[in-house]
Amino acid sequence: MPIEVTGLNYSYKKGTPFEKKVLYDVNLQIEDGDIVGIIGPTQSGKTTLAQHFNALFIPQSGVVKVDGINTADKNADLVKLRHKVGYVFQNPDYRLFASSVGEDISFGPRNQGLPPGDVTARVNEAMAQVGLDYDTFYSRDIFALSGGQKRRTAIAGVLACKPKTLVLDDITAGLDPRGRDEILAVVKKLHSEKNITIIYISNSMDEVAELAERVIVIDQGRIAFNDLKINIFNKPEKLRDIGLELPELMALAIDLHQQGFNIDPALLKFDEILLSILDNLHDGQVRE
Amino acid sequence: MELTKNITLGVYLPGNTAVHRMDPRTKIIASTILIVILLLINSYQAYGYFLIFISVIISSAGIPPGYALRGLKPMLPVLVLMWVFQLFLHSSPDAEIIFSWWIFSATDAGLHLGNIITLRVLFLFTVTTILTLTTSIVSLTDGLESLLSPLKRIGLPTQELVMTMVIALRFVLILAEELDKIVKAQMARGVAFDRGNFIQKTRKIFPVFLPLFINAFRRAEDLIVAMESRSYTGGRGRTKMKTLHMGRVDIVCILIMLLFTGLMIFTIFA
Repeated sequence: MPIEVTGLNYSYKKGTPFEKKVLYDVNLQIEDGDIVGIIGPTQSGKTTLAQHFNALFIPQSGVVKVDGINTADKNADLVKLRHKVGYVFQNPDYRLFASSVGEDISFGPRNQGLPPGDVTARVNEAMAQVGLDYDTFYSRDIFALSGGQKRRTAIAGVLACKPKTLVLDDITAGLDPRGRDEILAVVKKLHSEKNITIIYISNSMDEVAELAERVIVIDQGRIAFNDLKINIFNKPEKLRDIGLELPELMALAIDLHQQGFNIDPALLKFDEILLSILDNLHDGQVRE
Repeated sequence: MELTKNITLGVYLPGNTAVHRMDPRTKIIASTILIVILLLINSYQAYGYFLIFISVIISSAGIPPGYALRGLKPMLPVLVLMWVFQLFLHSSPDAEIIFSWWIFSATDAGLHLGNIITLRVLFLFTVTTILTLTTSIVSLTDGLESLLSPLKRIGLPTQELVMTMVIALRFVLILAEELDKIVKAQMARGVAFDRGNFIQKTRKIFPVFLPLFINAFRRAEDLIVAMESRSYTGGRGRTKMKTLHMGRVDIVCILIMLLFTGLMIFTIFA
């Protein structure tokens, strides 16, 4: 399911006095099995770009091809395409409407016109993937769920459509740290076990550093960087110009390295940095 | 896909033209007079004059004409339906039948009435749009409140009424934006809004309107808390940071309105 974007431009409210250009000549490619982070300040055009991936936006100029299908093609089956490229929205309240968790998750497969038996199987599988116990949650009232559970229901609702690519649009916004960690764990598992292509949109550097291999930085509608995350985090000044900070842990690692500790400043994962610090403690290098 | 693109009602288009600078009270009164005129005139000639007058206002306010008309787009099916109803259902004894089909027949009187009513709605909408496009919400509130203030004496809570109206106007856009997000979220799950027969299409409304209503209630609740936490207690004893003043533009506007009203009265009785 490769996604190819070439020369994409988009303006909101085109043809009105409020016209505002949000994407400028965007080119990028996302391959099967990638886990890509899209990061940028608010209003930088992340969501508009990502909604081109599943044809919620059709390019005003330029081409978006998903699995070889041009989304601007009049004959393209966009409904089918949207099942293949699942999109989880930032705010789950925009899509939860059913009275129970199970009913909401089954909405996608029912739209695909699957027989009831298959729908149940899909719901069962999707709930297992996001760690919602079928018996406990199937008939639970949606409005009685916690923030984290609502997000997981939303993800399950998209997973039930069996997407090959999953676009996750700022899905941890407003969650407590525990809910956030749970969601990140689910995403990691989906990528490693189900080999689903993940496009993770966020404005948290920490989350992107934790998850993604490749990072696309967007600034004012233009791609500022599109590279492996190590290459991007090596340019902290440029990131700061855009208004983004280094991941907290990486900043710590760099700081400790500069103060003479034996810590590799290129470490990105929490566990690695923690182990490295512990090693230093054992070596007795800690002053004061 | 953008649903908010065609909404012009309740949108403010900032600018610094004479129309923008006018006192909101003048604009509200002028709009009201124009609306009354619209309800009274019924000759094509009068509508012609009205069109010219409105066009002058639109161009002097710097509103792109295409944009002023854009808001009419979603109303088009309703207007066409209304026109057809008037055409076939109006009957008068001395009307001449110009076209008939099965049990329906269209008369010249029906055609005339259909045209007039359609024009009336089109112009009513345009007048209101011009008012909101050139008047910010704040000055609209101030203007209305000031105009309605005599009614306070008979115990009408004018400030509260105006506040309610303004919030409703604001929510048109907010809800449209929300609708946009909900429609997209459901499309992402494979709802094809343009497919299926009438009943199937109707059933697709639920996944959209349920979240919309729930979110609207939630927003209303948030708004109440936000207003109360800033000590909003209604209109009593509130003062204004900016007071309204009528200036030269307003006098010119009143003169023009008087002339135009005179012309219109002349066409009604002539």
